[in-house]
Amino acid sequence: MSRRFLSVDPPDLSLWPTAKGLARLWREQWKIVTVGLVCAFVMTGLSLAIPLVIQRAIDHAIAPKSGHRAALWPYLAVVVVLAIVRFFVNFTRRYATARTGVRVEARMRELLYQAYLRYPRAFYDRHATGQVVSRATNDLYPIRYFIGWGMTQGIQSVMMIVGIAIVLFLVDVKLAALALVAMPFVAVLTFMFGRKVMPVSREVQQLKADVTEAADEAVVGIEMVQAFGREDDVQARFGVKAQAVRDGVLRQARIEAAFLPGLLFLPTLSIAAVVYFGGRDVINGALTYGQFFLFYQLLLQLVWPLEALGWILSLGQRATASASRSFAWLQGIETIPEPSQPTSLPAGPLGVRFEDVHFSYGSGSEVLSGIQLEVAPGEVIAVCGPTGAGKTSLLNLLPRFYDPTDGRVLVGGVDARDLPIEDLRNAVAIVTQKPILFSIPLRDNLTAARPDAPWDEVVAACEAAGVAHFASELPDGYDTLIGERGVNLSGGQRQRVALARALVAGARVVVLDDPMSAVDTQTERHLVENLRPALAGRTVLIATQRLSTVEVADRAVVVDDGVIVESGTPDELLARGGLFAQLFGEEVSAAA
Amino acid sequence: MAALLIVKDAIDHGMRAHDKTRLGVDVLVYLAINGLAWIMQTSLVRGLAGVGQDVVLGLRQDLFDHLTTLSLRYFSQQKAGWIISRLTSDVDALSDVLSQGLTTLVVNTLTLLAAIVGLFVLDWRLGLVALVILPPTLVLTRWFQVKSHAAFLRVRETISALTAQIAESVSGMAVIQAFNRERAFLSEFDKANDANRVTNTYAQYLNSIFFPAVELLGVVAMVAVLWVGGRMLGHGSLTIGTLVSSVFLLNLVFQPLQELSDLYGQVQSAGAAMEKITTVLDTEAEIHDEPSAIRAPRIEGDLVLDRVTFSYGRDPVLHAIDVHVRAGQCLALVGESGGGKSTTAKLVGRFYDPDEGAIRVDGHDLRSLELRTYRRQLGVVLQDPFLFAGTIADNIRFAHPDATDAQVEDVAHAVGVDRIARRFDTGLQHEVREGGAGLSAGERQLISIARALLADPRILILDEATSNIDRPTEILIEQALDRLLRGRTSIIIAHRLATVRRADEILVMEHGRITQQGTFDDLLAVEGPFRRLAAQLKDTALKGVGAQLQADDEMPVTGSRESSSASVASSEPE
Repeated sequence: MSRRFLSVDPPDLSLWPTAKGLARLWREQWKIVTVGLVCAFVMTGLSLAIPLVIQRAIDHAIAPKSGHRAALWPYLAVVVVLAIVRFFVNFTRRYATARTGVRVEARMRELLYQAYLRYPRAFYDRHATGQVVSRATNDLYPIRYFIGWGMTQGIQSVMMIVGIAIVLFLVDVKLAALALVAMPFVAVLTFMFGRKVMPVSREVQQLKADVTEAADEAVVGIEMVQAFGREDDVQARFGVKAQAVRDGVLRQARIEAAFLPGLLFLPTLSIAAVVYFGGRDVINGALTYGQFFLFYQLLLQLVWPLEALGWILSLGQRATASASRSFAWLQGIETIPEPSQPTSLPAGPLGVRFEDVHFSYGSGSEVLSGIQLEVAPGEVIAVCGPTGAGKTSLLNLLPRFYDPTDGRVLVGGVDARDLPIEDLRNAVAIVTQKPILFSIPLRDNLTAARPDAPWDEVVAACEAAGVAHFASELPDGYDTLIGERGVNLSGGQRQRVALARALVAGARVVVLDDPMSAVDTQTERHLVENLRPALAGRTVLIATQRLSTVEVADRAVVVDDGVIVESGTPDELLARGGLFAQLFGEEVSAAA
Repeated sequence: MAALLIVKDAIDHGMRAHDKTRLGVDVLVYLAINGLAWIMQTSLVRGLAGVGQDVVLGLRQDLFDHLTTLSLRYFSQQKAGWIISRLTSDVDALSDVLSQGLTTLVVNTLTLLAAIVGLFVLDWRLGLVALVILPPTLVLTRWFQVKSHAAFLRVRETISALTAQIAESVSGMAVIQAFNRERAFLSEFDKANDANRVTNTYAQYLNSIFFPAVELLGVVAMVAVLWVGGRMLGHGSLTIGTLVSSVFLLNLVFQPLQELSDLYGQVQSAGAAMEKITTVLDTEAEIHDEPSAIRAPRIEGDLVLDRVTFSYGRDPVLHAIDVHVRAGQCLALVGESGGGKSTTAKLVGRFYDPDEGAIRVDGHDLRSLELRTYRRQLGVVLQDPFLFAGTIADNIRFAHPDATDAQVEDVAHAVGVDRIARRFDTGLQHEVREGGAGLSAGERQLISIARALLADPRILILDEATSNIDRPTEILIEQALDRLLRGRTSIIIAHRLATVRRADEILVMEHGRITQQGTFDDLLAVEGPFRRLAAQLKDTALKGVGAQLQADDEMPVTGSRESSSASVASSEPE
């Protein structure tokens, strides 16, 4: 094995690879990007042309030097035509650009979601749900606005600035030089602004994620909060986090307040220069009223592109901050490796073998330390042991939720790591300790593992798992919507649905992690009786705390401190008086 | 604005009158005015951001506070993801408008008004001409308002649905992966993602028409002013300075108009967000304090359910239940799932109020007590315990935040949490992640029991608290329970006879009715639902009792409550 642990918490990407990643997403949309850029170019030309025509109108038709007044309407007609053309060009530019942003956002979200589907359990152990969700939703907005507005607007701004400079220099070199002398300072100020605001905006993003997490926790744990009447503590905790966001946003606003109006003041210096020196030139007759108008108008038109550059820079910072974390996940998180030379499973019932299996979570201490266990094809084996002994960890190795840190897990005689993950998971059905159902109809929950399962098989599984028992009492029977928007099933009912789902899966190996803990005794009895036939021919591993469930099994093993300490039939083990007897024996002795 | 009147002065009196001094003075005044504007804008940005963020903070906190008072019914009807979106993305949308938007709004509204006034001051005729574009602008704005409001509502809806889908996938990832359901979920995601993309694109389409259209109208206005102004100039009733300044002023009308419209989109989405937030804030807490509610005094624990009927929807799940638990006694509820046991317990915790009848503690109707002062004296241990992010110690301390470290350690030791904690380098200071990942169900349950023990409640509710725990751990807990239950009124819902037999009274509940009632021994002695239940518990809890029951229906029950506790205690491992 090349590495013991998968990397599931990579550091944020630095600026350059982040920019490259964003550029790649941008280029993926090259068609509409091109449309947007072409329109931005035409738009710049038109925005320069309109004041130029008006300048001619003033100089030739309104306030001519010569005293001969040309007709005004042709000039104005041209302006109107240009304006109409600009309307269409501007519409196209905006729409194309905005669509680019929306598409990139959707694409980025899809990349993340696809990645989430591949990420190993270790990733979900490490990162809170709120954070994972937020990265595919809220965190993407700066990226969308930056690409959907910032990039094209930025390029257009630069073209506009350059265009205006060229026109002004053509009209009057000296005046243009005076007017534009303040501009380099705009660039400097913008740069300084960007440097200051970036770390703060990163921090704000993180603080917002904290709020999401706090909200998520309180909403999910509301029953506990209310049960103990601790609303005010939770409110105070949330308040601290909300306050931190406020402080962060205000810090950001203070920086913006310090820089942005300065960015706006600098152009007024240019205008002052034009009024003063231009005005003297008008007096001297070196400049016409029309040219004076042109200078003034173009300098006004310069304000927005400059301002936009400032915004784009700040937005760009936020976008790269967000993207650097997203790309870090997309690139830096290792998934459970697929075999380079996949083997296929043999036909028929599959045995399971754990060979000297060691396992630990991350860098923690060992949870499993040398498990040796052979489960024959078709055998039903109970995995017992005190709380925290490693039962769940052991079972989670079978569908490769985790890989052992040492030793091998064999399914059907093949190392699980040599099987395509999809094949392995098709062969192994698991019922997790906490039953997870989806907010879809009961029917779809049951067939989630095998949507094309024949209905009579589903019904049979429901009979065996005790779902049929309550399904008929649900408002819409098997079509009842489950979950927060539909019917809330009890813990025991959820477990039974999860059990039925695993039976429907038709897997040859079934892993049941304490599948009946929340089921009432009468139902459990029913399940225990029906489960054996339903599981016939399959290899089954059941972790359980109940003797009644153990007795479904052919054999029981007892795990303690990460090793198997006992193995045998339940009766043998009870008679032996070891840990198994301690675990379950009191149930007898207590009543004696 | 004033700056532009200066420019007019500079043109008319400076340039036309060939007065260079006047020109210089004008320029200096112009710079001074702009300098002043700079300073004002800086303080405005800071001031408004402060105001905006205070509003956001207040709203977020109010919303959260309100949520915590809503009943469990609300949380069972709304998706968690939906609720969380209100607290996060909706509030953030408002925050954006308030922090950046408010400045834009104030600065641009002022500029716009000043520019219009200025136009009329310069020359009222030109002012009127410029205003010809006002009606179409208003029509356009109204159209945009209506369309984009609807569009943004749809955007919000689709993003909410999408967020919920992602949240559900992330929390159910283990199952998705275990059953190779990635493709199905991906296609479901793609549908939601596409829907969001389409609604977003439409909203952007509206934006893309609106702003260029306003720009076009601006040029039309400029052309109109130049046309009329040019003629008036010809007649000599207008100066060139006034005309040029008017054109500049028009810029000042349209630039703010554009920025305001730009802001409009943001305001739209914030408005949509606010609407959703309002629906949450308007949801009345189903369980709330009556104005006449009194602080709960120290509860002795005499608990009466007086003909309590309750339904979640149409059909009652409890039918006129009568129960009396005397102070310090233990009541066990047994029966099949769906019989109404948990509902009864939830009513005692006042998570719901009965539809008919009343629940009284020490003679006080629960509805007459301040909810929080009552619940502070309540302890609840659920089957699926929820742990909060924080250390194990924090979680134990949850219900009693000012408990000392020594108290926490005592409780941890009493329940056996210290044994779990030994597994981690940092012991009780081990950081538990959200939901308690990394701990087994039994370990989480032990922590939640320690939490209830430290809370030192007067009334204790245990809802299948021991079902996830292995026998040795359970024995530890049973011992802890003996201590925990002493002197407190308790309601236990359990499937294990070993847990049930400690109760002073047992109620068998079936289909929302009490079908049998009595002590453990009494109930076993007669033919009835409890005997049937007990017989089914053959292996589960009291193998011996169950087996004997099957063998001999008339078997006298062995082992009183005292002796059973003793034998449980004696068989503790270690």
